[in-house]
Amino acid sequence: MSEPSIFFAEVNERQGVFHRRAFLLGGFAGVGLIALGAQLGRLQLLESERYTKLSASNQFNFKMTPPPRGLIVDRNGVVLASNRPNFRLMVAKEKGLDARATLKTLAEFVPLDDGRQARLFREISNAPRKAPVQIMEDMSWEQFSAINIRAPELPGVTADMGEVRVYPYGGAFAHVIGYVAKVNKTDLTPSGPNADPILLNPGFRIGRQGVEEAFDLDLRGKPGAQKVEVDANGHEVSTDPAGDIKAIPGKEIVLTLDADIQNRAMEVFGAQSGAAVMMDCRNGDILCLYSGPSFDANKFVRGLTGPEYKALAQYDHKPLFNKALTATYPPGSTFKTLVALTCLEHGFDPATVHVCNRAWAWGGRVWHCDKVHGALDLKGAIAQSCDIYFYQAALTVGPDRIAAVARRFGLGDTFDIGIPGQKPGLVPDTAYKKRHFPKDPVWHPGETPSMGIGQGYTHLNPLQLCVQAARLANGRKALHPRLIHSVGGVEQPSGAAFGDLPFEAKHIDFVRAAMAAVTVSGTAAGLSDMGLGDIKMAGKSGTAQAFNYASGHGQHGATGEWKYRDHAWFIAFAPVEEPRYAVSVLVEHGGFGASTSGPLARELLRVALLKDPEIRAKIEKPMPAPEIPQVETDPDVVDPPTPAAAAVQTAQQQTTP
Amino acid sequence: MTVSALTRPGERDRLINKVAEIDWLFCLTISLIAGAGAVMLFSIAGSSWEPWAAKHLGRYALCFGVMILLSLISLRVWFLLAYPIYAVGFLLLVAVDLVGHHALGAQRWLQAGPITIQPSEIMKIGLVLALARFYHGLSGKSAQLSWWLLVPAVLILAPVALVAKEPDLGTAILMLLTGAMVVVLAGLSWRLIAAGVLGLAAVVPAVIMFGLHGYQKQRLTTFMSPENDPSGSGYHILQSKIALGSGGLLGKGYGLGSQSQLNFLPEKQTDFIFATLAEEFGFVGCAFILVLYAAVIFMALRTSYLSHSHFGRLAAAGVTATFALYVLINGSMVMGLAPVVGVPMPLLSYGGTVMLTVMVGFGLVMAVRVHRYAEVTSGKGSLL
Repeated sequence: MSEPSIFFAEVNERQGVFHRRAFLLGGFAGVGLIALGAQLGRLQLLESERYTKLSASNQFNFKMTPPPRGLIVDRNGVVLASNRPNFRLMVAKEKGLDARATLKTLAEFVPLDDGRQARLFREISNAPRKAPVQIMEDMSWEQFSAINIRAPELPGVTADMGEVRVYPYGGAFAHVIGYVAKVNKTDLTPSGPNADPILLNPGFRIGRQGVEEAFDLDLRGKPGAQKVEVDANGHEVSTDPAGDIKAIPGKEIVLTLDADIQNRAMEVFGAQSGAAVMMDCRNGDILCLYSGPSFDANKFVRGLTGPEYKALAQYDHKPLFNKALTATYPPGSTFKTLVALTCLEHGFDPATVHVCNRAWAWGGRVWHCDKVHGALDLKGAIAQSCDIYFYQAALTVGPDRIAAVARRFGLGDTFDIGIPGQKPGLVPDTAYKKRHFPKDPVWHPGETPSMGIGQGYTHLNPLQLCVQAARLANGRKALHPRLIHSVGGVEQPSGAAFGDLPFEAKHIDFVRAAMAAVTVSGTAAGLSDMGLGDIKMAGKSGTAQAFNYASGHGQHGATGEWKYRDHAWFIAFAPVEEPRYAVSVLVEHGGFGASTSGPLARELLRVALLKDPEIRAKIEKPMPAPEIPQVETDPDVVDPPTPAAAAVQTAQQQTTP
Repeated sequence: MTVSALTRPGERDRLINKVAEIDWLFCLTISLIAGAGAVMLFSIAGSSWEPWAAKHLGRYALCFGVMILLSLISLRVWFLLAYPIYAVGFLLLVAVDLVGHHALGAQRWLQAGPITIQPSEIMKIGLVLALARFYHGLSGKSAQLSWWLLVPAVLILAPVALVAKEPDLGTAILMLLTGAMVVVLAGLSWRLIAAGVLGLAAVVPAVIMFGLHGYQKQRLTTFMSPENDPSGSGYHILQSKIALGSGGLLGKGYGLGSQSQLNFLPEKQTDFIFATLAEEFGFVGCAFILVLYAAVIFMALRTSYLSHSHFGRLAAAGVTATFALYVLINGSMVMGLAPVVGVPMPLLSYGGTVMLTVMVGFGLVMAVRVHRYAEVTSGKGSLL
């Protein structure tokens, strides 16, 4: 190839081809750029909205903010369950998290022993991605701030301020209110309100027992969300308060309980095992529902250690058991009030006299009484709680009539008080015997006298006995107990809206008068005086055999081994005229009802009466006007009288005309 | 200064006249693009000159000086050095294949003391020069259809094969297309062009099936349906489209692009810088930059028209083709029109190697312009 071989014309042609093709190249580039512009237009002008959304969902995350759990307050607004701030430490699985190393690092700041580290490691490994696992609760401010400073270099670690449930009165309300605990996977249901796995977030608690469990959904509220800007690694860059979705707090629940009475119940019970229930006998409101001994619900919120739980579960006084609702006992002599009413309703003459010689032979055996009562009429028999009188009284009406009357007083019944756990107990009759004893379906006459004194098959819980006392005290209405006053401001139906008792008023009046006699001259003589002047208490004691004496275990009175002693009952109401409050007290294996439970019942009624403004007004006599010495006033110096002094002066002028 | 004055022998070789012949409007346009790059790099770094923006401007200044110096070098020198440069580039590519530096699973660099050499970049210029040199001595007829065409075929395919083996698919495609473009511009017969296109259409699927590395194949399948794997290999394309689309007409505002500022956008300072710009300045900003690129391509292509020598024409057009391909490939990739290949946006992206290559290429284009009347083969006139 040599240069001269290229001719001029050829050179021109070569140039012409190049020019044409370079024009094409330019055209191609132009078309390419226009295509890019078109694609830009499509993305940025036509589909911009879609990509803006995608960009925002990249940029912003919504962090769940748990709703504050609803408060639980007593009838006067005293807070029984609330929330307090809580510094929490959490670890969430995310990219680059070495859970083991992270836990080791955290152990430098907060106490985490090896066993706990191993348990938390398993928990983190099993948790879904980005779901936080709580490492520590209730950190001190020092721990919280130390970890917060290190948090940026510890992926997945967050220390924040959450809320924890707190029960200011610890034990007094533990059985009624229950407690809250961490939500377990087993708590999640396939559908319904507990289907949402968001509940597994450490910010949520689920109610266990009592009001916390029964009203869990009302108390829970709805979670909100905090809008946070995150980078590609999911780290928070900033927050956007304007974009937050507010959490809806749980509803407030107002109980009918009175914190003062409930707390007093815990004080007066002390270490004794038993239950006390008090109702307003005008509307059925439960003012006190105590079961003792109790436990500190706050410890359950935190989570019990193994030994703590073992100690509670194995204690023979059964602190975890709500004896006010769940435990049933023979009512003992408190039942005589209803046997007497049955007799009266069926034409029994209250003047009928039986003589008590401490022993009475009938039906081929000897029936005992605790002492020689001599000749008694019905009223005296109630007051002195004579068994021999009531053996015979019961025989005159028979078990079915007694049972019918007892059921009218709520015995053997359960009530809708909002929380679960009531055991109906048993009021026996011939039909019951027939149903449950196929081998011996006949009610033997010898079983009636036992029923007449509240023993035998009859088993009742303290709430039922309080309902009985309240209905007797009310005399007219078949009151139902009410524990939940209102939920989120919506008042629950009153306990007075359930119709009337079908008994003659004079018969109930008779029983009430006999109960008044009990505390004046009867088994609980002296208890009627409450130290509140004219306000007196009426009641009925009951000493229920826990074991058959004949078996060698039963112990009458407060001696011998605790678990074999009799149960001590007392039901009462006050004031005797126009009763306002009724109470039932059971002391498990407490010995004599009148001496063990009676004073407790009186003390609880006293607190209730003292809190009642109308009662207070009645018993607080106006103070006699104090002698005010005449002040020697210098007529030359006229001091303008102070308003108080002026008032005193006018009063004196009016009283000394 | 009149044209008659310039026609005096030796007048055009005076430095002052050469400088005056440089296309300063062209220089302004590329400086605007590089400046826009610095503006974006400043924003991405969170309103900071470090670590990118200051370096970018510094490099551009340096490369600009190189470009001016190169533009003053006589086209005869370029012509003489065309084959040697190609040969050096080719030998270095072979050396890379044998002893090259491994990085990111590819063998692209040669380490010579403190200097890192990427032979494929030298080859981008060398290929254009060699092809222009070859066609300069080939008759129009032979360029159309003759056995001589086997020479450019080998000139193109040999380095492309070496680069593809590194593997650097992006550069290989770029070189192949650039070479093909020069061959077409030189006057290849339309029949052969058609045959070539058909041949490619037949060969490409086979290459995709059997000749690609695993990650290259994955990039292709990802490109076909990025939404299938949004957090995996489809991430780049999807995030880039989100950045573009969410920019809208006017953009999110300078420094406010959440996709780039919060690191959702990968390679935001290099290959995907256009997406960053699109996010913060919207359609208006993008259109402005595209117009600047179009102007650069137009001005460079016009230079090839002005040249009196076939070498100058083809060299300038070849560089223009390379530049245009850079812009189109990167643009398509960022906008989700092409699979992800490691091709940056020239002048806008951060990165010294490509900047130097492009500016050396522009130095050649400017040299073609400055020496457009010069005879490349005769011994007359100074070499500088």
